[in-house]
Amino acid sequence: MQQLKKKNEMLYFAMRNTKLRIGVIIVLIFVILAIIGPYITHYKPRDYVAPGPQPPSSEFWFGTTSFGEDVFSQFVSGLRATFIVGILGGGMGTLIGVLVGFTAGYRGGWLDETLNMLTNIVLVVPSLVVLIIIAAYLEVRGFLFESVFIGCFAWPWVARAIRAQTFSLRTRDFVDLARLSGMKPLKIIITEIAPNMMSYLLLVFILQFGGAILTAATLDFIGLGPTNTVSLGLMMNNAVIYGALLLGMWWWFIPPGLAITIVVGALYITNVGLDEVFNPRLREM
Amino acid sequence: MKRYFSRKLLIYILTLILAVTVDWLIPRFMPGNPVQIMIARAGLKAESAKLVYSEYMKAFGLDVPIWQQYINFWIALFHGDFGVSLWLFPRPVLRIIMDAVPYDLLLLVPAILISWFAGNNFGAFAARSKWLDNTISPLGYVLTATPYMWLGILLAWALGIVVHIFPFSGAYSYGLMPSLSWKFIGSLLQHWVLPFMSLFLVMFGGWAIGMRNMIIYELEADYSHYLEALGAPKNLVRRYAFRNAVLPQITGLALQLGVIVAGQLVTEIVFSYPGLGYLILQAIQNHDFFLLQGCFLFIIIGVLIANFAIDVTYVLVDPRTRAGMTGEA
Amino acid sequence: MKRLTVVLSLLIGLSMLLGACAPATTPAPVATEAQTSAPATAPTTAPTAAAAVTEFPRNETLYTGGKQWGPPSNWNPFQTGSYATGTLGLVYETLFIYDPLTDKFMPWLAESGSWTDANTYVLKLRQGLTWSDGQPLTVDDVKFTFELGKTDTLNFSSLWDWLDSITKVDANTLQFNFKEALYQEWANNLYNVPIVPQHIWSTMSEKDVETGANEKPIGSGAFMYQSYDQTKMVWVRNDNWWAIKALGYSIAPKYIVDLVNTSNENSLGLVLQGNEDLNNNYLPGVSTLLQGGYAMHTYYPNPPYHLSVNTAWLDINLQEKPLSDVKFRQALAYAINVSDIVTRDYGNMVQAANPTGLLPVWDKYVDQNVVKQMGISYDPAKAKQLLAAAGYKAGSDGFVTNPDGSPIALKIIVPNGWSDWMAAIQIISKNAQDVGINLQPDYPDYNGYLDARLNGKFDLAIDNQVQVSNTPWSYYHFIFYDKLADIATTQGGNYGRYDNKAAFDLVTQLDKTPTDDLAAMQKITSQLQTIQLTDLPVIPLWYNGAWAQFSTTNWTNWPGAADNQNHYFPVTWNGYWNMTSILMLTQLKPAGE
Repeated sequence: MQQLKKKNEMLYFAMRNTKLRIGVIIVLIFVILAIIGPYITHYKPRDYVAPGPQPPSSEFWFGTTSFGEDVFSQFVSGLRATFIVGILGGGMGTLIGVLVGFTAGYRGGWLDETLNMLTNIVLVVPSLVVLIIIAAYLEVRGFLFESVFIGCFAWPWVARAIRAQTFSLRTRDFVDLARLSGMKPLKIIITEIAPNMMSYLLLVFILQFGGAILTAATLDFIGLGPTNTVSLGLMMNNAVIYGALLLGMWWWFIPPGLAITIVVGALYITNVGLDEVFNPRLREM
Repeated sequence: MKRYFSRKLLIYILTLILAVTVDWLIPRFMPGNPVQIMIARAGLKAESAKLVYSEYMKAFGLDVPIWQQYINFWIALFHGDFGVSLWLFPRPVLRIIMDAVPYDLLLLVPAILISWFAGNNFGAFAARSKWLDNTISPLGYVLTATPYMWLGILLAWALGIVVHIFPFSGAYSYGLMPSLSWKFIGSLLQHWVLPFMSLFLVMFGGWAIGMRNMIIYELEADYSHYLEALGAPKNLVRRYAFRNAVLPQITGLALQLGVIVAGQLVTEIVFSYPGLGYLILQAIQNHDFFLLQGCFLFIIIGVLIANFAIDVTYVLVDPRTRAGMTGEA
Repeated sequence: MKRLTVVLSLLIGLSMLLGACAPATTPAPVATEAQTSAPATAPTTAPTAAAAVTEFPRNETLYTGGKQWGPPSNWNPFQTGSYATGTLGLVYETLFIYDPLTDKFMPWLAESGSWTDANTYVLKLRQGLTWSDGQPLTVDDVKFTFELGKTDTLNFSSLWDWLDSITKVDANTLQFNFKEALYQEWANNLYNVPIVPQHIWSTMSEKDVETGANEKPIGSGAFMYQSYDQTKMVWVRNDNWWAIKALGYSIAPKYIVDLVNTSNENSLGLVLQGNEDLNNNYLPGVSTLLQGGYAMHTYYPNPPYHLSVNTAWLDINLQEKPLSDVKFRQALAYAINVSDIVTRDYGNMVQAANPTGLLPVWDKYVDQNVVKQMGISYDPAKAKQLLAAAGYKAGSDGFVTNPDGSPIALKIIVPNGWSDWMAAIQIISKNAQDVGINLQPDYPDYNGYLDARLNGKFDLAIDNQVQVSNTPWSYYHFIFYDKLADIATTQGGNYGRYDNKAAFDLVTQLDKTPTDDLAAMQKITSQLQTIQLTDLPVIPLWYNGAWAQFSTTNWTNWPGAADNQNHYFPVTWNGYWNMTSILMLTQLKPAGE
């Protein structure tokens, strides 16, 4: 009963929080666009549709590239790719971070020492530079690869934070009680510790989500993104390489960057909104 | 304090060993042969290419067993030998990197320091009132969510091409040779403005938002309420909050270094600014594995040094560690 | 759109504000002046020779770009592919110069040369030649250079497989004694082997000769090393150049500043603003800009705009089904609509290739009868008909299957990022699909592309590795290259592994045919064309151009197709200076004269 009331209260604050509302709505709009976009346009992203370049028109909403490709088709398919990479990469990063963090925090001892050392090492390494090195040697690159690699280097700060939280939760009475009753550690983590950190995990995931999108965009821009599809970063890369700036083809390079900025910005704002919802002290502001 | 530093040092040394190994490993276990690419570029006659091929294999030390290549790699490293570039054959990689590093520092150091100070002050300022917060914070979010290269592209397009205020390519006018003349220095500064600005703005947004959030947490902390209850002036409470909030921002700087370096790389690519980012792009496009390896190691070493510098600063600034408490790594 | 404008103006406003107040050190726009100053207002004080020149007066400087993809790092003329722009041509010179447009050899360092018998070539050197350090250039230098290829591994070393010895006849005559005379290849060497000074190169170690950087090169050419930095190579005119007296040439630009390509975008901007006088990058959209009122020009004012210098063709992997079946290859060739690629992808900046793939300059070697009878051009109906006749029937998905019923799924590759080629293979894939061939485009990384081709692990790929030269032998040598086992290391061509000894024997026979025996050459090339069009080891597609856009803002009298223009190559790429580009320099005039 108590739990339910708390939930309702949160929902109430969530609905009332402007930041959260704005953030979620913006992200949703883009998600919908990414889902239905490829069905609205009748072209594939790399199709030759008309002699390019053409400025935006009723036929080609975002204009065409120098090579006569429809920018809108590229945009929506790139947007889709962006969300996939964000979810997979962000999810991966969160998952690894959570696993490492829980294990280290709950087990303690040498395992904690080792994991902590590993965390600190990966934390120091400039992950994008490592990703560049790895990607540069792959001849064929796909989304899945990109997402997994991004996730593999994004987890350390999650692990750190979760570890600290687990530390403090581990010594709480209800955990002690569960341990005394003979529950297995994994079960304790899943049933006792994790639920108390759900809100925190959500926040972490959102930040990882945004981070993965930015990382992917950077890789794609350098030309190390997936070789078989169009992404928003790759669009910017092509635009710059083929002189879109000088030829004044703003429709080629503004939409992809703007979409990333808006989506990631909206994610951050959602994050702050959620933080305010979960953390009653912050609601005043 | 000693324990704190030796622990940190251990982490840095392990990181370096790991990085060097990965750096050596990757190109050797991926398909493709750098010499093949060199031959492809040279466009030789088939009969001559055959002779040249074995010559190059020898020149790059690719004709010895793999374990020996690894040991040779470490030995060479301690001699400051990063190998020879394929792209700028036969120039040593280290020389190419050394030519580029000044430009990186020229951009990176001012951008990091100015954005950090400006961002923190701005963020603290924004946290003052709801009105300020609601107007300034969204701008901060937009800035920090902007991909570095996109801001670079926008600036290059808007200020470099649409209105010709700043040059948007290279580090100085191509009609000049580097010299200690006013003309050259002026040209250098002018080319510096746009890349600096794209780095600065994105980072600035991040620091401002971070600080704003920190301050709000601090202002809601028990000690702030306690101070307020005691009737302390609002300014005093804010000053305490600011001091406490700055510490995590220093750690934040260390955590952000990797992202900042990445931002620097793409910004240099957008503006064809001749630093390491530009080199990395060229190394990738020309399949210059040796240069890529060198750049990677150099960045890692740079980041490790910067991390250490931040650790030292942290110790100096934090009263608790100053008093001899050992901080958590 | 409104949101966009708001965000944009906000950003611009903010950045201007910051730009105005943050870096207080930003000086008055000094460099902008340097960038845009017209030659009239540029300082005309000639820099003194003693002080290091760090500025180049605009009206005395020719800015070029398009060859150098990285800072200059190498001035070794034997390092084909990596030496700084103009190392061979501006500094080091060759015995002859070859003009592909007229198919004529022009004596350069040589005064004359001829075959006195089947295996003896006698070369007379011009008199009064000097190196830029003042030393005389003699036959000893020439002999030394060629013999360097015997002791060291250089790009022309294979010459010594069939050259026996060189004897000095007198102070300006050399005699080359051949074991076996490969006339076509020898003629190629005459305008490609750079002559280097013995007094410098004889003191260098083998390693330095083969792979050294040769900083501050000393040559005999019209220009000398001045300086370089990250972004450019600077050459300064050699006022004691032998050709000034001997041939009456004069060169107007005192400096040649060759700019490193940073991006196509940058190059385009530089040319449009008249800051780069000659650019040799492929710049899509040039055709539309030519009408845009810029002072920018190309060799031809109309399509194809550029001279054709290499053929892009389709490599076909003959080792696997169904591509091993010539009927299938024929059907594929009929299916491809090259004119679509030319117009849509290239905006008419390239030309569709002759079915033989021979460049326009090799037109006289094309046997028109063979082409008429066997040449293939776009005809999708014929393609379908051929497929059906050969037993390729449509499967359940609409695509044809092998005669044994197994499905066909082919991939065509080009390097990722090469957008013009990427667009081309999309058109080709679509063409193939239209006749029922399941062909999909694929874009591996350049490395992967190269690897796939070298190791024969691809279905179809686009390739254009043979540049214009004095002989179609180089083209056929590539297509019919017979050392199949060596392809991965020699990169000698024939990536589809077409196995036909008889064809390569013809290629060798062509090599042994004297260059002045046109009828004999035509006889062989005709046979080769018959073989090529019968077996279709490759499918020629289009001719790539010698991309060259030049600005008349500072220099005029550029080459062009019109009668009152000179017809030299406006190309700074390696190997083109000695194909008349050096003569282009002698024609340039400062604007306003």
